[in-house]
Amino acid sequence: MMNRKTLFAAVIGLALLAGVPLFTANSYYVHMVITIMIYAILLYGLDIVVGYTGQVSLGHAGLFGVGSYTAGVLFMKLGAPLWVIIPASIGVTAAFGALLALPALRVTGPYLAMVTLAFGTIIQILINEMTFLTEGPLGITIPKPSLFGQKLSEQGFYWLVFALMVLSLVVVHRILKSQLGRAFEALRGSPVASDCMGVSVYRYKVYAFVISAGFAGLAGCLYAYSEQYISPNTYNFELTVLFLLAVIMGGRKTRSGALLGAAIIVILPKLLDDLELFRIVASSLAVLISVGAVVGVLRKMTTPKAMAIPVIGTIALAGFSFWLESITDWRLSIFGLMILFVVYYLQDGIVGFARSLFARKSPAADSVSVDGLDTSRDAVMMAAKAGTHETGTDLLVANGVLMQFGGLKAINQVDLRIKRGTIHGLIGPNGSGKSTMMNVLTGIYVPTAGSIVFAGRSVVGRTSSDIALSGIARTFQNVQLFGEMTALQNVQVGLHHTFDSNILDVSLHTPRYKREEKAAIERGMGLLNFVGLGDLATEEARNLPYGKQRLLEIARALALDPQLLLLDEPAAGLTAPDIKVLINIIRKIRDHGITVILIEHHMDVVMSICDAVSVLDFGQKIAEGKPAEVQADEKVIEAYLGGTAT
Amino acid sequence: MEILLQLVYSGIALGMIYAVIAFGYQLTFQTSDTLNFGQGDALMLGAMVGLTLVNMGMNYWMMLPLVIVFGLIQGGVVERIAVRPAIKIKSEFGWIMSTIALGIIFKNVAENIWGRDDLKFPSPLPESPIKLFGANVLPMEILVVVGAVLMMLAVEFFNRKTIYGKAVVATFNDRDAAKLMGINTGLVITFSYALSSATAAFAGALIAPLTLTGATMGSVLGLKAFAVAIIGGLTSGMGIIVGGIILGVAETTTGFYLSTGYKDVPGLVLLLLVLAYKPAGLFGKSAIKKV
Amino acid sequence: MLSIKNLQAGYGKVQVLHGISIEVPKGKVVTLIGSNGAGKTTTMRAVSGMIKPTAGEILLHGKRIDGLESYTIAKQGLAHSPEGRRVFATMTVTDNLILGAFPRLTGSRPKGDVAGDLDRAMDLFPRLKERRNQLAGTLSGGEQQMLAMARAVMLNPEIVLLDEPSMGLAPILVEEVFRIIADLKSRGVTMLLVEQFAAAALKVADYGYVLENGRISVHGEASKLRDDPAVRAAYLGGGH
Repeated sequence: MMNRKTLFAAVIGLALLAGVPLFTANSYYVHMVITIMIYAILLYGLDIVVGYTGQVSLGHAGLFGVGSYTAGVLFMKLGAPLWVIIPASIGVTAAFGALLALPALRVTGPYLAMVTLAFGTIIQILINEMTFLTEGPLGITIPKPSLFGQKLSEQGFYWLVFALMVLSLVVVHRILKSQLGRAFEALRGSPVASDCMGVSVYRYKVYAFVISAGFAGLAGCLYAYSEQYISPNTYNFELTVLFLLAVIMGGRKTRSGALLGAAIIVILPKLLDDLELFRIVASSLAVLISVGAVVGVLRKMTTPKAMAIPVIGTIALAGFSFWLESITDWRLSIFGLMILFVVYYLQDGIVGFARSLFARKSPAADSVSVDGLDTSRDAVMMAAKAGTHETGTDLLVANGVLMQFGGLKAINQVDLRIKRGTIHGLIGPNGSGKSTMMNVLTGIYVPTAGSIVFAGRSVVGRTSSDIALSGIARTFQNVQLFGEMTALQNVQVGLHHTFDSNILDVSLHTPRYKREEKAAIERGMGLLNFVGLGDLATEEARNLPYGKQRLLEIARALALDPQLLLLDEPAAGLTAPDIKVLINIIRKIRDHGITVILIEHHMDVVMSICDAVSVLDFGQKIAEGKPAEVQADEKVIEAYLGGTAT
Repeated sequence: MEILLQLVYSGIALGMIYAVIAFGYQLTFQTSDTLNFGQGDALMLGAMVGLTLVNMGMNYWMMLPLVIVFGLIQGGVVERIAVRPAIKIKSEFGWIMSTIALGIIFKNVAENIWGRDDLKFPSPLPESPIKLFGANVLPMEILVVVGAVLMMLAVEFFNRKTIYGKAVVATFNDRDAAKLMGINTGLVITFSYALSSATAAFAGALIAPLTLTGATMGSVLGLKAFAVAIIGGLTSGMGIIVGGIILGVAETTTGFYLSTGYKDVPGLVLLLLVLAYKPAGLFGKSAIKKV
Repeated sequence: MLSIKNLQAGYGKVQVLHGISIEVPKGKVVTLIGSNGAGKTTTMRAVSGMIKPTAGEILLHGKRIDGLESYTIAKQGLAHSPEGRRVFATMTVTDNLILGAFPRLTGSRPKGDVAGDLDRAMDLFPRLKERRNQLAGTLSGGEQQMLAMARAVMLNPEIVLLDEPSMGLAPILVEEVFRIIADLKSRGVTMLLVEQFAAAALKVADYGYVLENGRISVHGEASKLRDDPAVRAAYLGGGH
């Protein structure tokens, strides 16, 4: 739900855009705007991968090419009509997206970038070499498409592209605002936390690439019709870098940024062809930045040192432009410099920068309207479906667990029996294996030996997201929140499992989706209220004070409707009043029928709320029992304080 | 059969070039967890600078050390401009994009200085092939293999025997602990980039007489060398030599038996396969996730 | 020799130390004890420059070292044997020790007799002598701990910081480690020792500080602290 002002501005903007062929008869400009819109379609999709899941994709020019060539080949070989070619382009490219996702599954960062680069390069080679299909370097000619038997004019084609662009915009926007968008962002925020909240990193990576590829395919197909001639060397590395520049310069995670970015990369080369114009622009830019720098330093908003590079750079650029005869050959260097500039000085892109100047809240914080929603119910009551079992029976039984890393036995033959409805403490000196145990229980490590049975099913060998969905939730020692999302959105990621809606439901805003989204907001607010963060729902997680971040992690974990909640040092770094709040919350959780395993170093916390305590030392269990018993146990005292003999 | 052996020889020479570039990837990755996406362009610049020096009348053998010095400077520049600021703001996206950007700029500058066409690099050695086990080998190809091996050995020697080399290895092992030893790890990282570009530039000057020299020669080479670096697991020196040879031979044979247009495909497919199934590489060790 | 005044430090948003003050006089062994999460390692890291303090001062020989890079601080004669040992795994024992003397070999500190010091280090740590050409990564936990300590001593330092030398070691190795610490003390090496094992630490130290939740709760002569009930309470909770 966008707020009124943005919606209004968007409608006006789009209306203006629709009217372009009416304002000007010059087909050069019309064609230029068509190209901008086509690129925008691709960038909406690219933003999913780059802006939301946070990966660098160097293969989108290749996917763009697949879309174009599907259109070209289908037309050339089969004479297929428009209404066949569009879905075919989308489908085929999406399939290629899935193919690309396969090697990309297990890698991130630079490896993933290389994978996409290799993929894009292979596609370009294949298009060039498979002449029996693609005519290779000769290229394919395609006339403008026909709609309802009539061949489209330039104007008609414009409105077709416009309609599809608006459609793409709406679909992408809806996807990204839904549980799918949250899942994508979670992948970037913390892949480990995603898996442990039931959002499988593998699966959503594939979705991100497939959806992104679908849009690239649509764009490619329209591009083929627009240019009326396609050839392999268009879809090269430079184009892919241009797409990336557009996304980051325009501003990631925004639709207007994508449109702006598209405009920049289309208009810029034309600008660079006109040397006079470029000189004027470069000089103006140098003056602007220099003045801005002086103002900034005088107002103490920045230092001379920080402004040195932009000022010198733009002046040098202006000077360079006067020395040159033609700037066309230096196009790519300009693009390279622009990338450097954006990466270091304009990380949120132009739109992001503008927003930070004018808006006080981040775009993520659209206010959540809770009128008409029922948030009075204690959200954790849902989890009490676990209450159909009796307290005191075994919930989790671990036998002979061995976790070996090379020669090191981090966990050495540990047995653990956790009873339903209890708070079970796990303590021990540094390096005793507590966090390792937690990682084993949540599938992050696979134990070398031993059995772990939870609610009748073995845990060993299952993926983290599968384990999470079967009822074990956790928090982390080093807070693993999804920083750029709001508190409510973080909790909603934990609620991902409550959604059955698929991409169609999301795009069309079907009743099912609307129902599920409403329920997610209600429940999310309820959970936030449970931990006392209700009024911080629209704050970005990374801006919350540390103590509240830890509570947010607990709320998020509870969203999984777990039967077992693992808390990894929840009190670490908390002040005394925060610890009191924490203890209360843990007690309330237990009272709702959720079993808790608590790793802690704060003895006061452990002693005051635990029903039973197990003590680890050197990966082995050295004591177990009620808190007071353990506190007085000689072996425990020695493990912590050291022997009196030495 | 004779042709096959010939292809193998060429493949080995080509493979050693990949290995040297891959070696450069390893160097920077080990000390700073970053890679230079413009590594291929460093090779290209080495070849172009070498060509200019040779065309000005300089002896090939005198040119080589100068090219190495050029590479050192170029690598240092890349680190200062593209990598150091990104490490400071802890942005992986940052150094990926900025090393790409610098690579593009270098390539564009090269296009403008040396033109877009491929140029012929005069060979310092006789161009007539020698017979080795019944098949033809170009003397230049032997030089490439020898040069590459010598360079890698030199670096190994540096790492093992000099105190500064040990400081580099220490930085690779544990950056924080190295700092505690009084080692300026920032300088080490700059140095590893400088060395990485220097080895690439050297490789460029070596391979230039064998292939077409032009502004575009670096791009795909850099990508395929990355495949080799991955196969070696980014930590094993032996692995990249083996990987390089495998790839080199695969390419020369594909190029001959299939078509030259497809010759880049085996390397790229290899990269995809390795990353899909064994991201730690065939020779490397997988990292243990810590939460 | 080392003065820590009102040190505040933490990691990002988490403030771990809330203003602690510690004095380490020349030639003495001072120990900092406390339970996990109390901030002991954070203190060491702030002193050796691995993290930057948010407030307070750290002085070595009267000169401020807070906020400096750890490699600069090392060159001033502060050696740190870090938590978890952190030896250079792919290098030999000998090379690890040589690297400990890096500032001496590269002109940042007076060179002295590096080769001689190397021999003396091997004599002090016979286990290392046996394994001098072995890769450090293949050593056992106890041997790595000794290597880390020897490596720190190779700097010919003014002061040595020992961070949790007993962590993860079997009791018999812990005894050996503390025997070596006592030996170093008898040679006049100034040390700041952070330990979870209060008993052993207080036995070898001259003076002790107890760290609880980022603040010093108790401090005094080591022999007196050993029987103080406040020490036990700091670890196991309850009753204070």
